[in-house]
Amino acid sequence: MVKKQNICLVASAGGHLSQLLRLKECWSEKEIFFISTTEVVRTQLSQFGKVYIVGESNREHPGRVLRVWWRCVRIILRERPQVVISTGAAVGCMACFLGKLCRAKVIWIDSITNVERLSLSGRMVRYIADLFLVQWPELAKQYNKVEYTGAVI
Amino acid sequence: MIFLTVGTQFPFDRLVRVVDEALGLKSFSEEVFGQIGESSYKPHNFEAVKHLEKKQYDRIFQEAAGIISHAGMGTITMALKQQKPILVLPRRKMYGEVVNDHQLEIARRFASLKHLLMAEEPEELAEKLNILTDFKPNTRETQVQAVQERICQFLQTLP
Repeated sequence: MVKKQNICLVASAGGHLSQLLRLKECWSEKEIFFISTTEVVRTQLSQFGKVYIVGESNREHPGRVLRVWWRCVRIILRERPQVVISTGAAVGCMACFLGKLCRAKVIWIDSITNVERLSLSGRMVRYIADLFLVQWPELAKQYNKVEYTGAVI
Repeated sequence: MIFLTVGTQFPFDRLVRVVDEALGLKSFSEEVFGQIGESSYKPHNFEAVKHLEKKQYDRIFQEAAGIISHAGMGTITMALKQQKPILVLPRRKMYGEVVNDHQLEIARRFASLKHLLMAEEPEELAEKLNILTDFKPNTRETQVQAVQERICQFLQTLP
């Protein structure tokens, strides 16, 4: 039996998540699960599939980053996704690296707000991404392995 | 009515203060209603609440003749969708309002594409208040379909 693709969709709540949700048709008939950052979005996401909420984290709070990292480790080990798709930010970066360690393919869509250069997370994920999309054409010229196919927002 | 909204995550005192002061000086005379979160600056010259339920928020947004806000993508996208004139003041890293200056970058770019009006500092915002309701935003073209096709194509190459 061919195993269905299990896709991990990960984004911080807010702008990152709304950009990811604009790409619904990519995963509408696949097995999916979400990782996001606040309980507020749980109901909205649960109509599409399983939802894991890991809490907020950013560079300013190393303790929280560790907690979110650990939660992501447990989720990725349990779910073993074949693909991780993310629009950012920190939590997306973590899930992409963890997914890669478990041999998942990584798709990154850098957020529209990164106009002049890639996001910090994007600059890290670029080294391991299998498909890396940006939403401004100039960025695709500026970096290797980066594609522009359009803006989603 | 002009709707002032600072988003739900953090307060944005600089924005609330400049709008309140402009109304106080009568340099701007439209009616303003604000959703200002946990702002430590309390406005004297317009009515404001901390939070609004989504339904109420949507209704006020729709009724407003113009929007004043931080440069959050949620608010900007909503304004563009409804073709509402919007004037933004980006939250800045140097004032501890955000962890990076992405709001500034996107506001500058969207302003150059005439999707919105922006002010880099409160003084500039005060000057632009009076042109807000006459501003006709350019609609934004997106390429959601092309991006989805590229991702689907990639997914199909996987075992």
